[in-house]
Amino acid sequence: MTTATARPERDARKRHARYQYRDSKVAYLLLLPVVILLGIFVIWPAVYAGYLSFQNWSFYKAPEFVGLDNFLAVLKDPLFWATIRRGFLFVLMTVPVMLVLAFFFASLVVAVSRRFATVLKVSIYIPTIISTVIASIVFVLIYDYSGGLLNWFLGYFGIDPIAWIGDPAWALLAVAVPAIWLGLGLTSLIMVAAMVDIPMEFYEAAAMEGAGWWQKTRYITIPQMKNVLLYLLITGFVAAIQQFELPLIMTGGGPLDSTTLPNLFIFNHFRNDINVGYSIAAALLLFVVLGTVSALVFKVLNSEKLVD
Amino acid sequence: MVDPRRPEGHRRGRVHRGGTVPARLDGHRRFQGEDRGHPNPFQFFPEVWKWENYAQILADPTFTRTLLWTLLGALLFTVLSLSVNSLAAYAFARLEFRFKKTLWVLVITTMFIPGMTILLTSFIVVTKLHMLDTLAVLVVPGAASAASVFFIRQFYLNIPSSLEEAAMLDGCGRIRIFFSLFLPLSKPPFVVMGITAFLAYWNSYVWPILTITSPDKYVLQQYLATFRSERNTELGLLMAGSTLAALPVVILFLIFQRQIIGNIKMAGLK
Repeated sequence: MTTATARPERDARKRHARYQYRDSKVAYLLLLPVVILLGIFVIWPAVYAGYLSFQNWSFYKAPEFVGLDNFLAVLKDPLFWATIRRGFLFVLMTVPVMLVLAFFFASLVVAVSRRFATVLKVSIYIPTIISTVIASIVFVLIYDYSGGLLNWFLGYFGIDPIAWIGDPAWALLAVAVPAIWLGLGLTSLIMVAAMVDIPMEFYEAAAMEGAGWWQKTRYITIPQMKNVLLYLLITGFVAAIQQFELPLIMTGGGPLDSTTLPNLFIFNHFRNDINVGYSIAAALLLFVVLGTVSALVFKVLNSEKLVD
Repeated sequence: MVDPRRPEGHRRGRVHRGGTVPARLDGHRRFQGEDRGHPNPFQFFPEVWKWENYAQILADPTFTRTLLWTLLGALLFTVLSLSVNSLAAYAFARLEFRFKKTLWVLVITTMFIPGMTILLTSFIVVTKLHMLDTLAVLVVPGAASAASVFFIRQFYLNIPSSLEEAAMLDGCGRIRIFFSLFLPLSKPPFVVMGITAFLAYWNSYVWPILTITSPDKYVLQQYLATFRSERNTELGLLMAGSTLAALPVVILFLIFQRQIIGNIKMAGLK
């Protein structure tokens, strides 16, 4: 320490190097568990998937290199494109509705008294806790053709029963409703957190100039929440396009494929198709799309935080 | 038309191509036939409170065992996940070492790999490791999570380094600093990530149905799903089971809700 004043630069560098070396050992020790686990259960399977996508392979025979055949087969398959289109349709059905509902809900939470706000927050968060399996079962009962809540309710208005999850025209919408319900809680909570962060002075100033609720929302709340809204939009997109447990349990992808979302398409292929290479190629193509979107969001959101 | 789809249905050929209509009709008939007399859905309070459903399911040793089994797994998973991820988060937030940037990019990249892409190859890996049908296959593969490392790291970056420097002057090593300084301060991110991990385990369905084959090792969601197929007449029992299954997580959430809501802000959104 005392020599630091004499030859500061070289000493500092030496000390720095020594510290760096000392940290390295400890750091590797601390990182070892995560790196090993991610390596075995995420990175290796991903590399392996890349390898298998170029093979004609099944559980019953030895792999055979087929080049890009699997990818070409996927890209030529009208069913694959249909599921991708359906995935985007599902996103359009769920994400905007969820964001608007969550926004109004969050505004309500911020506006009411603290005690009531807690009750509201807990009640909106409950669906997030409930598992997709249970939610699916409950919604299947609600959609029941002859004894379900929904048809029973519509019966009062003289509307004939509708086979909500048995009719291709309705099934995707019927799956979208629980998806919105399940996603609403976390979305609202993140919005509440963001709204609470907006300085009160902005609103006080606006109130003095006679701004109403809509004007405050339009000119203060929404611009202040831009980052959070972008984040929610993209994570909502990624979550919605990856949704598959709801249709898996509620409809199995049917009727007539009307609820086969991209991930369910791949999942069903894994289970039913002998040619695993095809499924893996499809999964990798989906990964390219989703991974790119997620990585972009991450970059935007952490542009200044990812210093190292 | 109702579609009381059974998980096993998927093994009967190409379900998604509409090939199992007979099976579905069969399920439909059983569902309707044996469960005649649906309750009036708008009558909120039942005419007769059937607490027997709860009594019966609680008396069922399979249910109790599954509940405890899932609880054990979820706790192990949460503890393992918090341990490994917080150690890595500390290293990335506070230590200087060779290949730091490379390792960080490697870890963060895993965040962008969708589960579906590696579902089958992960299954092959755990098969080769002889982990199928064990507790380890549920607890170990998902424990390390880049999102969790990232979240906790954000928190550690905000801890003032003066605290750490003081400890180092007192002769504390890095590991001791972590355990005696960072760990006691880690409650907020631990609550958020702990609940996330617990919920993920508690509600997991697809991974267990692929990797757990013996019924006596089923986890909760898997158990509830089979309930619906094997005894799909007993809706009351199923609902009682679902309610009881959701109860622990609701209680957990009520206890920790303040921390969760308060800490979503620091998830690196702003």
